[in-house]
Amino acid sequence: MTGTGQDLAGSAGGALREVTVGTGTGLDTADMVLNIGPQHPSTHGVLRLKLVLDGERVRSAEPIIGYMHRGAEKLFEVRDYRQIIVLANRHDWLSAFANELGVALAVERLMGMEVPERAVWLRTALAELNRVLNHLMFLGSYPLEIGAITPIFYAFRERETIQAVMEEASGGRMHYMFNRVGGLKEEVPAGWTRRARAAIGEVRRRLPDLDHLIRRNDIFLARTVGVGVLPAAAAAAYGASGPVARASGLDFDLRRDEPYLAYGELSVPVVTRTAGDCHSRFEVLLDQVFVSLDLAEQCLNRVDQISGPVNVRLPKVVKAPEGHTYAWTENPLGVNGYYLVSRGEKTPWRMKLRTASYSNVQALATLLPGCLVPDLIAILGSMFFVVGDVDK
Amino acid sequence: MVGMSEVPGVGLAKGLAVTLKTMTRRSHTHQYPDVEPDLPPRSRGVIALFEENCTSCMLCARECPDWCIYIDSHKEEVVLPGAARPRQRPVLDRFAIDFSLCMYCGICIEACPFDALYWSPEFEYAEYDIRELLHEKETLREWMWTVPAPPAHDPNGEPAKEQAAAAARQT
Repeated sequence: MTGTGQDLAGSAGGALREVTVGTGTGLDTADMVLNIGPQHPSTHGVLRLKLVLDGERVRSAEPIIGYMHRGAEKLFEVRDYRQIIVLANRHDWLSAFANELGVALAVERLMGMEVPERAVWLRTALAELNRVLNHLMFLGSYPLEIGAITPIFYAFRERETIQAVMEEASGGRMHYMFNRVGGLKEEVPAGWTRRARAAIGEVRRRLPDLDHLIRRNDIFLARTVGVGVLPAAAAAAYGASGPVARASGLDFDLRRDEPYLAYGELSVPVVTRTAGDCHSRFEVLLDQVFVSLDLAEQCLNRVDQISGPVNVRLPKVVKAPEGHTYAWTENPLGVNGYYLVSRGEKTPWRMKLRTASYSNVQALATLLPGCLVPDLIAILGSMFFVVGDVDK
Repeated sequence: MVGMSEVPGVGLAKGLAVTLKTMTRRSHTHQYPDVEPDLPPRSRGVIALFEENCTSCMLCARECPDWCIYIDSHKEEVVLPGAARPRQRPVLDRFAIDFSLCMYCGICIEACPFDALYWSPEFEYAEYDIRELLHEKETLREWMWTVPAPPAHDPNGEPAKEQAAAAARQT
């Protein structure tokens, strides 16, 4: 049935009913339902946003997730603890090292295993380098999404420098596979710490380029300042964490508040902002890169003073004793939690992931209503999530 | 306007200054097909098989998280002069890795007790058809020639287990 007309079928009952179907015939306007995604370049993967629009203004927004669900948690149940690391470093492909680290920490805690000191400091250094890599990706891609194409080339130049160091140690550029239960896969090559420090120095020297290019750019400011303000209370209510929450003024960082690895011996400056808008989220990310470079350098200096093994000799079959444990880490994108339940087998009975991106994306439902469609892209990009990490 | 920098246009000018500075520097681009990339020895490009070392014990195939290694073998009897009974010897009929499934985790290489599998930084084996990525033992053996020597370990850490074993044998 199209257009405006009288429902003749209704006349059988006696009284005539008038039914208006479709739009554009009267002065009445109807809201438009628009799907952004699942295949959309600005969603970094396959996130779908179901928007109700009134003209250019967003009335309501519903993030629909699950297009990239790969059943990682279920697969963990049929993989041994070394094989789990293969899967765990893939759900958030930009923070592979941090993800494998969380799994290893959970298993080590359940087994009551002591990790050699050298491994702890190396892990901390690599985790911070991984954070730099992750943040640089977003520092490049976020301006790209709102129309500034240049910063990504600068971001990738720095990424490549750090990437080379990571590849030299682990052999991988994305999925490092360098963590093992009890430490690291193997010792780093001779001279690696020196080259890593040189890379850090180089990135630190060149990073102001990226800073000058975009941080105070007038167009960038006009697009991001005051846009997509996430109040601290809302951030906490949605369980947002990491740079997104810290930009809203939630001063929470596990590296300082519940130190794991060697963070207890380092003083971790926590970067926060109070505005909670897109620009402060971007700024938190940018300033965290400087902090992480410093932390990584301090760790590397310590690594040079410690000798000894980087892993512990494991039995042929690694079995976690019966019990359960919860380990959480400050991943580049926020708090990642690993709830591990073991029944004493060589595979976990259950391994539940709490991922940062999942919680951060939930906040979109309150952030988007009321904004304009062009701002939507600015807000979406500034929430810093990886769809694989949302869907797992 | 909200968020504008102190003097309008200063942010833009700073950005343009960066661009100008970068213009005078050498480019970071590598001319890839003409210039080979300089990859570290640990780089995980492809898995090579040192067929002579393989005993077809199937450990790699069993440890692989997505079962992308296919092994067929049979036993052969070898009559050694002077021995009371003929010996049994495993013969490898097929060793194939499906690189369309492989997740490049390296567990097979770690699991191999006979040092028959190695990482090679070789990466130029893209194919137009996904089925062509299933590579048999002849190709895997050829890649053995591209395997570099492993890098020396950091002197602060423990030496590689091969080094430790060699030192123990000498004493």
